[in-house]
Amino acid sequence: MDMRILHGEGTTSVSGARGAVSRAAFRRRVHALRTALDLHPARRWALICDDSGWFGAGLLALAGGGREIVLPQAPQAGALRDIRVDAVLTDIPGAFTGMPLLAVAEPGDELDAPPAMPDDAVRIEFYTSGSSGAPKCVPKTYAQLRLEVEALERQWGSGLGVARVVGTVPHHHLYGLLFRVLWPLTAGRTFHSQMCLQPVELRAAVGTEPCVVVSSPAFLSRVQVADLPASTQVRALFSSGAPLPDEAARALGENWGRAAIEVYGSTETGGIAWRAWDGADARPWWRPIEGVAAEIREDEAGPRLWAKSGCTWRHDWMPSGDLARAGADGRFALQGRADDVLKLEDKRVSLGEMCAHLVSHPWVAEARLVLLPGKRQQIGAVVVLEAEGRAALEREGKRLLQEKLREALGTRYEALLLPRKWRFPDALPGNAMGKTEQARLLALFEAGP
Amino acid sequence: MNQLIPELKQLIIDSLDLEDVKPADIDAAAPLFGNGGLGLDSIDALELGVAVQKRYQVKLDANSADTRQHFHSVESLAKFISSQRPA
Repeated sequence: MDMRILHGEGTTSVSGARGAVSRAAFRRRVHALRTALDLHPARRWALICDDSGWFGAGLLALAGGGREIVLPQAPQAGALRDIRVDAVLTDIPGAFTGMPLLAVAEPGDELDAPPAMPDDAVRIEFYTSGSSGAPKCVPKTYAQLRLEVEALERQWGSGLGVARVVGTVPHHHLYGLLFRVLWPLTAGRTFHSQMCLQPVELRAAVGTEPCVVVSSPAFLSRVQVADLPASTQVRALFSSGAPLPDEAARALGENWGRAAIEVYGSTETGGIAWRAWDGADARPWWRPIEGVAAEIREDEAGPRLWAKSGCTWRHDWMPSGDLARAGADGRFALQGRADDVLKLEDKRVSLGEMCAHLVSHPWVAEARLVLLPGKRQQIGAVVVLEAEGRAALEREGKRLLQEKLREALGTRYEALLLPRKWRFPDALPGNAMGKTEQARLLALFEAGP
Repeated sequence: MNQLIPELKQLIIDSLDLEDVKPADIDAAAPLFGNGGLGLDSIDALELGVAVQKRYQVKLDANSADTRQHFHSVESLAKFISSQRPA
């Protein structure tokens, strides 16, 4: 697929608070950055921009110039500390004083110059939370991103037509980069230059135009559907990053009037499958995205999902981190994280699955399970109680409360798999991402009961 | 045998690393395993067996049905240990 934004006739490529950017102006941005890069010796570039329009232009300029692109986990200077880069391309130069950098600047109105196409072989590094707590580097080639975008357009493009793409997720992670920036650039859709943090920002960003909303469960499970842009003007609402909670999926489908398209994937594999709430009581099965092959292979963690697509490494089969069950027509159901799966005394248990059962107890609002260090492998449960559970805690004490919760889990799990240590804090510690949470949870147990 | 009961309760708490359980919480007549008592599991049984043998120098029977009887409750365990020790 050609990159329409580089040649197209449309009027707008980027919308935003700082005004719209025409396609010609966007091409001039890319061209100006390319020219500046040609004079710069740095080979390995961190690309850090607040503005998604400049981020997109920077991405095309670096990829067109054959430079290595590094996308730190967070767009702060601190995130660069452990990632060796030669220079920073940024629209917030003040945040990176003392580093070699190229600050973006709006070029003059000179002649339109279509820049060279991005180089397929360019390496782009994403960073995600690793199992050790240190950020984990996931490298991609530009070709992998291009093929992924082509698959997205084949899957959903015809239903989107001309629409403005707005989002509530950052553009430096794979999902946001593809859905909010590279896909619109490729398909010739206007995209909004700011990430919307509040529903009101989302409504302001779309105005009355047809739009595509790129969001996540973190946003969609917290907002009232009435605060979203009208479902009649939203051609598609995407959600990715984690499964959408049942209530949120149902509220969108029933009360807002359009089901969210949930996209399942990972930085390593790219998008794998999708589903949308269909009114049935059970959640629908995941079905592979156009051009993605998915299959289930048994390994020591259990039935693990594997995927193969344009976005997987060398277009070959890659293991996902999830366990799955096969259904009809290549569809599948997810059954918890493979790396959640422990062998406790030779018995396999999925912490994610057990946690879901724990949360289904009426006393439990939120819960996390961790494997505790020590001579015996045991599970620790961190539980935030509902009002009813707190009343039970005050009435009966901690020991009897945890006995009741153990008993409830005991209807599904044998005794030796049940959590042996329990903590009931008022709120879960820290943020909800990655393994830094793991350390905070473990600290609750180190402190004693 | 009477002083064995509080001793055993403390041994169970210590060897199994039970949190939030005090000796007074353990009913000497209640089953140690399964529902209705401490809810100990098969690994607990293993560890408690090791601790009891070490502390009281008793030999467990190869007959698992008998052993299960001995480990039914704190009371039955106390009875078993005193029967194994010289009077």
